[in-house]
Amino acid sequence: MSGDAAPLALPLSRLSAGACEATTLYRELQKPLLRYLVCLGLSSDEAQDVVQDAFLILHRHLAAGGSQENIRGWLFRVAHNQARNRQNRYDRNFSAASEADLDAVSHDATPERAVLEKEKFQQLGKAMRLLTQSERECLLLRASGLRYREIGEVLGIATSTVSDTVDRAIRKLAEKCNV
Amino acid sequence: MCDFSGRLIAWLDRELPAEEAAEVERHLENCAQCRAGVDAYKRVSGELDAYCDAVIASGARRAVPRWTPVALGAGGVAALVALFLAIPRTQVAPPASHAPQVSAAAAPVVVATATPAAVSSIQRVHRRQAATPVSVRDANAAPAQYHDVYALPEEPMIQIAIPADEMFPPGAVPEGIHFVADLTIAPDGSAERLQLRPRLAGFERRTTQP
Repeated sequence: MSGDAAPLALPLSRLSAGACEATTLYRELQKPLLRYLVCLGLSSDEAQDVVQDAFLILHRHLAAGGSQENIRGWLFRVAHNQARNRQNRYDRNFSAASEADLDAVSHDATPERAVLEKEKFQQLGKAMRLLTQSERECLLLRASGLRYREIGEVLGIATSTVSDTVDRAIRKLAEKCNV
Repeated sequence: MCDFSGRLIAWLDRELPAEEAAEVERHLENCAQCRAGVDAYKRVSGELDAYCDAVIASGARRAVPRWTPVALGAGGVAALVALFLAIPRTQVAPPASHAPQVSAAAAPVVVATATPAAVSSIQRVHRRQAATPVSVRDANAAPAQYHDVYALPEEPMIQIAIPADEMFPPGAVPEGIHFVADLTIAPDGSAERLQLRPRLAGFERRTTQP
């Protein structure tokens, strides 16, 4: 859950020491970044490109002696901005990502459970599409494990605004999904 | 609505200061409505996580080579059609050793009864022309070279090299990709149809090369 973990709090001073730490960071952050970008509405290929670019920029940033504080938030911010630059209309494409065949992710799901899960995903997808772009972004960053402060840094908004937006978005989802 | 309801999600996310969090926890012990709210927010958060996993899983399944839309670009096809239409028709006349061609749609299906040895004697013809059955009525009496009308050509009759950069914007086609153009020639020698097929250079085998 978002509130639980900050598993990526690496001692960032190690990063500039060599490619090994950067590779570790890549392994740990690649999937959360991809998940965020794809859920945001980018295609798989676009998301891969954005992640590659983000790590390339990180490499240059570190090589140039840039700040090593909160690299996770930094990477998400870079990836978020890259995604916006590449595809300004990704909020519209959000429907494409959520509309289609979302199957159950649990491998041991029975057919009945898989059908129920699929229906639930479709309902959740519809509810997500009814949110504002800011609400979606806040929720997806929260689902990526970012703290409210980090989300605020990624989106360029105040932490209190993030708190209000997350609260509002979760309530909307709960209401629409009859949870 | 309970006064604490606005702080439940922040508490769930551990975003409240310690004192405020303790206050919420004390309240939750006595407020069933807020406890139900917390349970609902937990569930919806869990479902959102599962939903995100499903979205990225479905995205991976649907992933297609990114150059596919480029390969189907109408601009490139139009450029090639224009190029082929500019070719003098005399260049694509069928070889003299073959019987007159008929269109594939109208042609009767004839089962080839060729012997293996006859394969090497067939002359090079365009693929579509080769697939067009020739009127072989008596397989036993016909000369060997007339039997293998379905044999694939050893190489295209016409080969035109067009750099990918001429058809597509620079960088749009990844390195190592080239296109094979299948040109269908009508019986009168005119270009009837053109189809572009993207190929990975490393995986294209010239099996017909002698």
